[in-house]
Amino acid sequence: MRYDAIVAGGGHNGLVCAAVLARAGRRVVVLERRERTGGILDGVVSTVGRLRPALVAELDLERHGLELVRPEVRMLALRDDGPPIPFFADPARTAESLASVSAADAEAYPRFDAHVRVIARFLGELAEVTPPRLDAGALGDWQAGLRLVRAYRRLSARSARELTRALPMASADFVGEWFATDAVRGAVAARGSLFTAMGPWSAGTAAVLLADSAGNDGGAAGQTAFARGGPQALAAALEAAARAAGAEVRTGAAVERLLVRGGNVRGVALASGEEIEAPVVACGVDPKTVLTRWLDPEEAGPRLRWRAGNIRTPGATAVVDLTLSAEPEFAGVDDPALLGGRIVVAPGIDHVERAFDCWKYGQPSERPYLEATLADGRLHVLAQWVPHAADPDAVGDLVVAELERHAPGIGETVTDRSVLTPAGIERELGISGGHVYHAEPGLDQFFAWRPVLGLARHRLAVAGLYLCGSGAHPGGGVTGGPGRNAAREILAD
Amino acid sequence: MERYDAIVIGGGHNGLVCAAYLARAGLRVVVLERRDVLGGAAVTEEIVPGFRFSVASYVVSLLRPEIVRDLELPRHGLAILPLDGTLTPLDDDYLWRVNDHGRTVRELRRWSLNDAEAYEEYSILMAQMARFIKPILSAVPADQGRIRPNEWVSLAPLARRFAALPRRLRDTFIQLMTMSAADFLDQWFETDPLKATMSASGVIGTFQGIRSPGTAYVLLHHYMGEIDGAFRAWGIPRGGTGGVSLSIASAARAQGAEIRMEATVASIDVQGGRTTGVTLESGETIAADAVLSSADPRVTFLDLIEPGELDGQFVEDVRRYRFRGSSGKVNLALDGLPDLTCLPGRGEHLRGAISFSPSIEYMERAYDDAKYGRFSQRPYIDAIIPTLVDPAMAPPGKHVMSCFVQYAPYHLADGALWDDAHRQAFRDTVIDTLAERAPNIRELIVGEQVLTPLDIEQRIGLSEGNIFQGELSLEQLFFNRPVPGWARYRTPVHGLWMCGSAAHPGGGLMGAPGRIAALEHLKSRSSR
Repeated sequence: MRYDAIVAGGGHNGLVCAAVLARAGRRVVVLERRERTGGILDGVVSTVGRLRPALVAELDLERHGLELVRPEVRMLALRDDGPPIPFFADPARTAESLASVSAADAEAYPRFDAHVRVIARFLGELAEVTPPRLDAGALGDWQAGLRLVRAYRRLSARSARELTRALPMASADFVGEWFATDAVRGAVAARGSLFTAMGPWSAGTAAVLLADSAGNDGGAAGQTAFARGGPQALAAALEAAARAAGAEVRTGAAVERLLVRGGNVRGVALASGEEIEAPVVACGVDPKTVLTRWLDPEEAGPRLRWRAGNIRTPGATAVVDLTLSAEPEFAGVDDPALLGGRIVVAPGIDHVERAFDCWKYGQPSERPYLEATLADGRLHVLAQWVPHAADPDAVGDLVVAELERHAPGIGETVTDRSVLTPAGIERELGISGGHVYHAEPGLDQFFAWRPVLGLARHRLAVAGLYLCGSGAHPGGGVTGGPGRNAAREILAD
Repeated sequence: MERYDAIVIGGGHNGLVCAAYLARAGLRVVVLERRDVLGGAAVTEEIVPGFRFSVASYVVSLLRPEIVRDLELPRHGLAILPLDGTLTPLDDDYLWRVNDHGRTVRELRRWSLNDAEAYEEYSILMAQMARFIKPILSAVPADQGRIRPNEWVSLAPLARRFAALPRRLRDTFIQLMTMSAADFLDQWFETDPLKATMSASGVIGTFQGIRSPGTAYVLLHHYMGEIDGAFRAWGIPRGGTGGVSLSIASAARAQGAEIRMEATVASIDVQGGRTTGVTLESGETIAADAVLSSADPRVTFLDLIEPGELDGQFVEDVRRYRFRGSSGKVNLALDGLPDLTCLPGRGEHLRGAISFSPSIEYMERAYDDAKYGRFSQRPYIDAIIPTLVDPAMAPPGKHVMSCFVQYAPYHLADGALWDDAHRQAFRDTVIDTLAERAPNIRELIVGEQVLTPLDIEQRIGLSEGNIFQGELSLEQLFFNRPVPGWARYRTPVHGLWMCGSAAHPGGGLMGAPGRIAALEHLKSRSSR
């Protein structure tokens, strides 16, 4: 059997890429090392609100079983010294809940929300284009450039200036300019640090925060949407869409190396020794894996290998899954509906920064920044920052201890617990460094230089080799953007 | 009443450069300086009898060669003496880099063969990079709020030069603009004290750590000095940094500029959105078509202009401009030379900078202290002993030692103020840190001057003690410096211009903002 294209890696981006290619009539096979597709949808992330609405329509995901649930409560910000603050989908309602904390912050919130949306909308446009080449101008570059110029012109002069100012900022500063209360600042700013190795005082975290709201209706409170049935249901819908379009999906098929001849990719070799041929290989895995492990060093050359080896992948997020025997009782929460969104423990800028400090020196954060979601008696917790090789049990204990501060007695109700440290994520999902975003979303690995300058247009070192995973622009988070953009480039070639 | 073409507020190096250029073009110019000495932060003062300190700024880094040429500064007394190398003292060892590249590489071989090899490659790359970056220091930023092509025309040559760079340099440029100094260096080197010391230069004067994104760019500054050719741009000015200011002042006077000291501006007078001149604290008013302020934006717009004269949004933007002073200064008058435990005795190792930056973690912990509002318990200190190259700064056989100390945050935790007790504690911490590596330092001290960020604010007039007139963080650079939409030296007040370090390209003893502001102002006059 000969294919037009192989998609290596059956995470959400790989599946998106395969589905788009298959719908364009290409014979595609997806090769997934694990027994299930889905990648980080399988146990790492819980919200899927960043998924591009256009993609849902294009792949007809609803017909393939996807149902998105958008809770009215986006975020419940737990505090050390007061009742939790709920953030709602409706900014006006959030302002009401902020009024009990600070009148000034309540007044500022709707304006801040609008500000975030204006900039995020531009980032949404940016996410749709393939980054231009920064040397000579090819035709495609002009089209992308025009689209961006048009989007830029739609901004007012003030917004355009604010955009260039906001992106390189530290989220602590970005948020600090609007809000006075530390608890509000912490909860809103922390999102710029999720899945990263950057505390809120690191420059560029504002860009991460804004990207989280790009192309979706996140706004200031952040995207919060679930797939009914859990994130795996999104993977199932994507897989169904790909299959319906004619793509083949093989699990338990671990790619070991790329087959290259005469500067052209010609397929992949599996760990089993089997070779599968195709003139196009799109990689949904991280770029470091592709360029330093799968690609023959001779094909990559020493310079590219050095650069690829320097792609920063400091995974610092742990996933702690708790099965509870009873509904958790958070102090100050009288309405269980308030627990329907993201439950966030980031009660202040310094609090979150201190959690990051510990990690810098190789220690797990004593009071980690947590993002939790509750569904079907299970509390799914993301914990920042956790050293790569931390002891999973110790991490689990830390997380439960932190939760215990906000929901006394919750520890007693934990009947089962599983912990994935960054090392665990690396092992289970095969992502370099266990970095959920495949490459740190720092300013140095952004847009036209993500993952490195010269490889941002999805095309990697040899002809026919593409990157369609989160290591490519527009980066991590369950957007489907890299997969979709890569497929567009593959079809254009 | 006297009438001038232009008034320059502030007799710091930028104000003086600006005045000299304006006078050179035939304008009647007066410089108004609050203090009784010229130089602003580039000032030499005899604080301890017989000992002359470069009170604040202590080395010349990037003084623009075109300014030196245009104003013929050597003729007016400018001489830059070599500052050779950087010594990083450690517990039982040291790392010593000198200007002689071959010797530095030999020293690095002692630490890591790999680093010695990488150092060659790194130095060449950085020199190439510096050559590319230099024109940006003379460019006038565009207004990113407008898409009109003529806004961007000034940047087209830069864009073309970028596109024409080899990919490797483009790659490096982007990394330099976005990465942390430590991450950037991690790509090349493994020796901890080497990385710590090199990246320390990336955080001088900023409220950032060496692991904070955006600090890599400043690594280039060292290399920019070196490629200016015949003129040595990295070193100690004869007579201290005040010597630089005095040579510029002399050049300005020679061009016909008037310089008045102890002339404190109380207000910038504005009528119908247009400046008419200034009023001094003495009540005297001085009229002029144009006022160019080298004071920082907080002073210029919030202290010197009547609140009602400015648009509310602009005032808000000025208010949010970040200063965040992060450093202090300890100047010591010494009876003899410090004796380092790692390298005893006197010798040429004392003739360069002595950098107290033993490890990445040391630097980062120093920053962490500051983040939470206290001065570093073990600070980064950049010490130099100018008397070894310029003995006239102290009586025979005696020495002065200048210690730049980071971090010392302007805002202390829990609303504490920099009072005498805090200053004393800060001073003791610095001396303790020095004494760990040079135990005889305590016996040598015969006089001292300690400057906290608050002292710098009060003495020099720099808001929050920020030595660059505003944080050099990415969002406050180029077209956002100091206020988005107002990066081109003009201000919302007609006839009022900015010519200090708060304007592009920012702080450091380079004079570029003063020069570009003068040239832009002259251009606007000729097009009128």
